[in-house]
Amino acid sequence: MSGSNRLAGLKARPKGTTVEEVRRVDEVGEARGFLDRTPRKKPGRKPSPRTHQLHPKVFPTVGQEISAEAERLGITQGQLIEEMWSVYKDKH
Amino acid sequence: MPVIVMASPKGGVGKSTCAVLLASEFARMGADVTVLDCDPNKSLTRWASHGAPSGVILKSDVGRSEIVPTIRSSDGDGKIVIVDLEGVASQLVSRAISQADLVIVPMQPTALDAEIGSEALALVREEEEALGRSIRHAVVLTKTSAAVKSRVQKELEAQLSGAGIDVIQPSLVARAAFSELFAYGGDLTAMMGDPEMVTGGKIDKALANAQAFTEAVYERLK
Repeated sequence: MSGSNRLAGLKARPKGTTVEEVRRVDEVGEARGFLDRTPRKKPGRKPSPRTHQLHPKVFPTVGQEISAEAERLGITQGQLIEEMWSVYKDKH
Repeated sequence: MPVIVMASPKGGVGKSTCAVLLASEFARMGADVTVLDCDPNKSLTRWASHGAPSGVILKSDVGRSEIVPTIRSSDGDGKIVIVDLEGVASQLVSRAISQADLVIVPMQPTALDAEIGSEALALVREEEEALGRSIRHAVVLTKTSAAVKSRVQKELEAQLSGAGIDVIQPSLVARAAFSELFAYGGDLTAMMGDPEMVTGGKIDKALANAQAFTEAVYERLK
C-alpha cells in the first residue's frame, strides 16, 4: 500500500458542530454514563507569589513591643527588623 | 479527509497502539496525519517525544471543551485526523465520537473487554439516532495470539458478527514491537532498519500486521 493518490479517495462526511448538536451529544452520552469528567480546579485562593516578606513568629508581648516601637519611630515593622538585623550582623 | 476515533471506556485495550500504527502507516502512504492525544496518560505524547515519523503532527492535552473545535481546525485536504481517547466514559469521548468518520473500538478477546467495549458501540448507535446520521464504527480485536485463534476469540467474533457489528480483519496480534514503539518512537520501518533497537520480537511480522490492519481501515474510509 503506497502512494498519496489512493488517499485522495478517502472521504470525510459533514458533521454538525453547532451548540445544539453538541448539547444533544452530551445528553445522549450522559444518559449512558459518559459524564463530564474534566478535573476540577483546586478551590480557594492561589498561593501568593514569593515577595521575600518576613513573617517572624514571636511571643505576643514581644510582637506588641516591636509594633509599638515601629509606630513610635514612624517606620514599618520590617524596617525595624532590618535595623535589628544590621545590629545583629555587626555584633557577630 | 477522515477523522478516525479510537474509543473504549476500558483502559489498556490498545487504543493508543492502534492510533500509533494507523498514524505511522497513513503517514508512510503520504498523508498529513494529525494525532490528538486526549488521554491523560499521554501515551502518544511519550511516543512522539522520542521522534514522530515524518508527516505526523501531535496535539496534546485536548480536553472536552477543545475537542470539537480542534478536530474541525485539524481537518483539511490531504489530512487525516486520528483521535486517541482516554479509557473512561466521559463527555470528551461522546463529543469525539460525534465528529468521527470511523470509530474504532479496540477489544482484547475477553468477556470483560467485550462487555465494557460494547458501551462505546451502544453510545455510537445512540448518537447516530440523536444526530440523524450514521457514524461508521468497527471493532478490532487486539493482543490476540499469533499462533492460534483462541476459542474465546472465535466466539467473540461470531457474537459480534451475529449482532451486525463490523469486525476489522486482521486482528492486532500481541507483538513486542508494538509495545516497544512507545519506548523508541518513530515507526516499525525505522525500527526494522535500526540494529540498535531491541524488541525481542519479529518486527517484520508486526509490520505486516500493521499494514494489513491499516489497509482494512482504509477500505472502511473509502
